[in-house]
Amino acid sequence: MKPALFDQELVVVTGKGGVGKSVVAAALGTLLADDKRVLVLEVDPRENVHQLFGVPPSGGEFVELGPRLFLQNLKPGQVIDQLVEEKLKFKRLVKRVLESPIYRHFAESAPGLEEMAVLGHALRALRGVSPKAPRVDAVVLDAPATGHGVSLLAAPLLVGEVIQHGPIGGLTRQVSKLVADAGRSGIVVVTLAEEMPATEAIELRAMLAARLDRAPDLLVVNGLYPPTTGALGADRASRLWARRRQLNERELGRLRREWPEPSVELPLLPLDRGEELVAELTAALRQQLVDGKSG
Amino acid sequence: MSLDRLLAPLVVVVGGGGVGKTTLAAALGLRSAEEGADTLVMTFDPSLRLKDTLGVGEEARDHEVTVASDTPGRLEASLLDAGATFNRLIERYSPDQQAKERILSNRYYHHLSGGLSGILEYMAVERLFEVSIAGDYGRVILDTPPTREALDFLEAPDRVIDFLDSGVLKVALKDWFTAEGRLKPAARFGALGRRFERLLDDLVGLELLRDMAEFFQAFGPLYAGFKDRADRVRSLLQSDETLFVLVAGPGEEEVPDLLFFARRLAESGHRVGPIVVNRVHPRFERRSGGEVDAADGVELLAWLGERDHAGLAALRELLSAEQPLAALPLMSEAPTDLGGLSELAEELVGRLRS
Repeated sequence: MKPALFDQELVVVTGKGGVGKSVVAAALGTLLADDKRVLVLEVDPRENVHQLFGVPPSGGEFVELGPRLFLQNLKPGQVIDQLVEEKLKFKRLVKRVLESPIYRHFAESAPGLEEMAVLGHALRALRGVSPKAPRVDAVVLDAPATGHGVSLLAAPLLVGEVIQHGPIGGLTRQVSKLVADAGRSGIVVVTLAEEMPATEAIELRAMLAARLDRAPDLLVVNGLYPPTTGALGADRASRLWARRRQLNERELGRLRREWPEPSVELPLLPLDRGEELVAELTAALRQQLVDGKSG
Repeated sequence: MSLDRLLAPLVVVVGGGGVGKTTLAAALGLRSAEEGADTLVMTFDPSLRLKDTLGVGEEARDHEVTVASDTPGRLEASLLDAGATFNRLIERYSPDQQAKERILSNRYYHHLSGGLSGILEYMAVERLFEVSIAGDYGRVILDTPPTREALDFLEAPDRVIDFLDSGVLKVALKDWFTAEGRLKPAARFGALGRRFERLLDDLVGLELLRDMAEFFQAFGPLYAGFKDRADRVRSLLQSDETLFVLVAGPGEEEVPDLLFFARRLAESGHRVGPIVVNRVHPRFERRSGGEVDAADGVELLAWLGERDHAGLAALRELLSAEQPLAALPLMSEAPTDLGGLSELAEELVGRLRS
């Protein structure tokens, strides 16, 4: 059975730094774009997802990657500024507000506001209300590293507590609904089959349950060494291969025991970060998730 | 070679996520204790990896716990707790019990101390400062928060000073709200004032503004002490006492970020110590010259070894000859006990010398 994320509007891809989260987000976005319009949304001031698709940096703009696939790098401040602009119709006033140090500090330090802005932006893209933005059917969000991934999803609760009215209050209510609805939004956790990343993935699963009362939809175990075959040589390379694969299998076993939700396994490939790598991983995801050979 | 030649009394380990910072910080700490210095390793990682490796548990949160290392110097470890550190700062600079309680019970303060990125980073350096003033250790090693923007960490004291100086405080210190929680100026200006009040409420919520105004009013008496403290924290980071160790993963993709960060560190008056490229795949002979077979682990390892060494060569090319650089090979498994940590430190020191 296809996991729920094929029908969800928002798919949040999270995981510890260095596990290949962005590559998985790119591959998942590509796969979902098989039959609907998908936006891959990157939240990192230092853009890197564009390299995976072989296009120039988005610089905050929408980049069309294919007939149904789009990429955008988002600066959270951008969304809040836009709300101010829409609310205050007078240009001079807008300028004064946006340039005031008090507004800047407020926008940066108000608890959860930046994270809320990211989710709000995703929602607006889904609704097609964002000016300059194409309307999409699903957003794949390349979320910041683990701990922040949870705060991102918890932000609407935090902001909703203090801002109840106006454009932000309204947006917060809609985003809260989206994030709380397991039918509409999903969480994908990316990890490596190594001790520390696997431990963190399991901790993240517990944190999602405790803080958001949500279970992740999919675990992606990335960067697996190939299974060892037949008689291995006694040379250093063969021994290292055997040890790395053994370590992978031990952690895969632990993850299988502690992770009841669906999971997929992706191979470590002799490819630099780029289009070819994304294409290969998309094919691997398609094979396991669509053709039903799920791990 | 002794660590005294390689490091300083305060060592800040910085780098991106997932590069093995925490393990290296722990290894350097153990080595330092082996050489006879009483050493503290502080980590800030919310996933608490250090406790796994050093065998200390949750009791190390905001407390120094002795590691059973049986070394000439004492080895202690602690897990940083931003909230607890912030609370201590408030207590230290509050003129009286009432002022302290006003802040600690303020809702905005709870949000601030609860996990904002800038505050987390600032509290890490603040704690380093606290520990260094107490002077209980010959060496303190700080494993920094897992931030991709490692610069956030350095700029945290500046941002706190900037925030306090920005006028937010001055504006907030005015008496804006009536006893009923209405905006005072709005009440004076009739219909226009009420529209302005509505606009503010619509944009950010008056309740949040009230919380913030209350927070800054309560914070007023603490301002001078706090600002002076942030200045001293900044000076400590830039002093000869402090050395930064940069850790990065292998591969050419890592090189630009690493160089950028090293340059920024140096330009902003910080001392850059050793650069460590971690988890470098060893070099192996390819079996054949053709396309790499991804299902053949030996071929794959050979390709990864080539990739990582190309990255290293590019890095060496761009660094000055005096810059200490160590490339640590990928191990079959990350150290999970003190013996493994000690070997890792030995390897690191050995490679820095050569």
